[in-house]
Amino acid sequence: MLIIDLYTILKDELKNGSNNLVTRPTGQAVRERIERDIEQAPDGSVIGLDFSKVGVIDYSCSDEIVAKLLSRLLAGEYGDKYLVLIGMNENQRENIEVALERKDLAIVAGTREGTKAVLGSLNNYLKDTLEFVAERKKATARELTEAKKIEANTGGTRLLNLYKKRLVRRIGGEGAMWAYEAL
Amino acid sequence: MNQLTEETFEKTLHAFIRSDQIDLRGVTFIDPYGMVGLLEIGELCMLEDIKKTVLLPRSSEVLRYLERMDFFTNAKRYFSLEPMHAPPTGSAGESDVLLEITPIERANDIHYIVSRVEERSQAILAKHLRYDGKAINGFIVALSEICQNIVEHSENKGFVGVQKYRYPSLGRNIVKIAVMDAGIGFRRSLSGRFKLTSDLEAIEKALLHGASRHEDEGRGHGLAAAKRFVEQWQGRLSIRSGTARLSLIPKWARGREREMNLVNLPGSQINIILPEVLNS
Repeated sequence: MLIIDLYTILKDELKNGSNNLVTRPTGQAVRERIERDIEQAPDGSVIGLDFSKVGVIDYSCSDEIVAKLLSRLLAGEYGDKYLVLIGMNENQRENIEVALERKDLAIVAGTREGTKAVLGSLNNYLKDTLEFVAERKKATARELTEAKKIEANTGGTRLLNLYKKRLVRRIGGEGAMWAYEAL
Repeated sequence: MNQLTEETFEKTLHAFIRSDQIDLRGVTFIDPYGMVGLLEIGELCMLEDIKKTVLLPRSSEVLRYLERMDFFTNAKRYFSLEPMHAPPTGSAGESDVLLEITPIERANDIHYIVSRVEERSQAILAKHLRYDGKAINGFIVALSEICQNIVEHSENKGFVGVQKYRYPSLGRNIVKIAVMDAGIGFRRSLSGRFKLTSDLEAIEKALLHGASRHEDEGRGHGLAAAKRFVEQWQGRLSIRSGTARLSLIPKWARGREREMNLVNLPGSQINIILPEVLNS
């Protein structure tokens, strides 16, 4: 995983000593720095945005950084890459979730204690599928279909939808079948 | 006039705007809304190249408070102060100021405001309002978003001030937040996207429906965040712009939710009162 320390970027961009991600201009400056790093990363990379040294993040900055990066990632602007949030505290999670829900987006977020959960807007059946993949670290449509006792194309579609939302990584599977890996 | 608060400011606004002198000599109490309101009048006068005279309160206690709130630093840009202001002496005691009167012109000002409030949050918000970490975060984010609206939408500068008080009739501590700008106001800000017939409709659109001048779905968080926070903590919120005011009034407070045909005051004027959390 390529880890991007948001505090370091914030310090470089703002030069005012603040460790808070507040205001749209701040979010825009930070996002543009992150975009440069993402563009340089090879296809298939998982990029972790590290919030552990950041204080407050407000809704505007959440939208400007996380929601916009994710929207552009889903639109294919950065190539075949994946984004996760790491080192988050409860308040940061809540504020980012509000921004993601407004745009019907979801992202995998890890806390400072090391737990992971999806943030934002995601259907229950996709959440269930994501949990299935996370438990096993990697899963195929066949494994999902058998475990959940659902039709083969339903299992495949669910995994494909998670992949399209960049919530699981698609890797070459056994034979003609793709495997999907937890981020 | 012996008090300068949101209520009395409204009553004296017409006189303040028309007269060459703003007479505060009899004032024994002034809150952030009163102070920030005076500065907004000063800003509007400066745009018309007018410098009014402010007759300062006789009360040394009020003068000390104005000093603590950094009112004079900002006021001397706009007004001739009489008598010529000399910093009052005497101990200020434990400060109840959460944020001195602070100008808002650019994004960097918001960083300063957030850092300042964060520094004092334990001494004021945790101690006197009994806010936990989550509530303090909500307070800071709501304040950040409201102040950003000035930079993003007003096309002019603004001011913010935050102060803790003891509210005798409620038997609780409260925090008062006043945020104002002398900018284009809600109606003009939203007019590019919405057909609006009144200032009240514009405020309603922004506060109750999350409307923004920008089409992006990610916009319109600011007031929505403030509304959510104020309602969650049983606070009182009022937004005045142009000739109208819309208020969210909790059970413990009084007032009218919708007011129209007020004296025209350009820009926007936001007043928030948050009470101490009671033990459940």
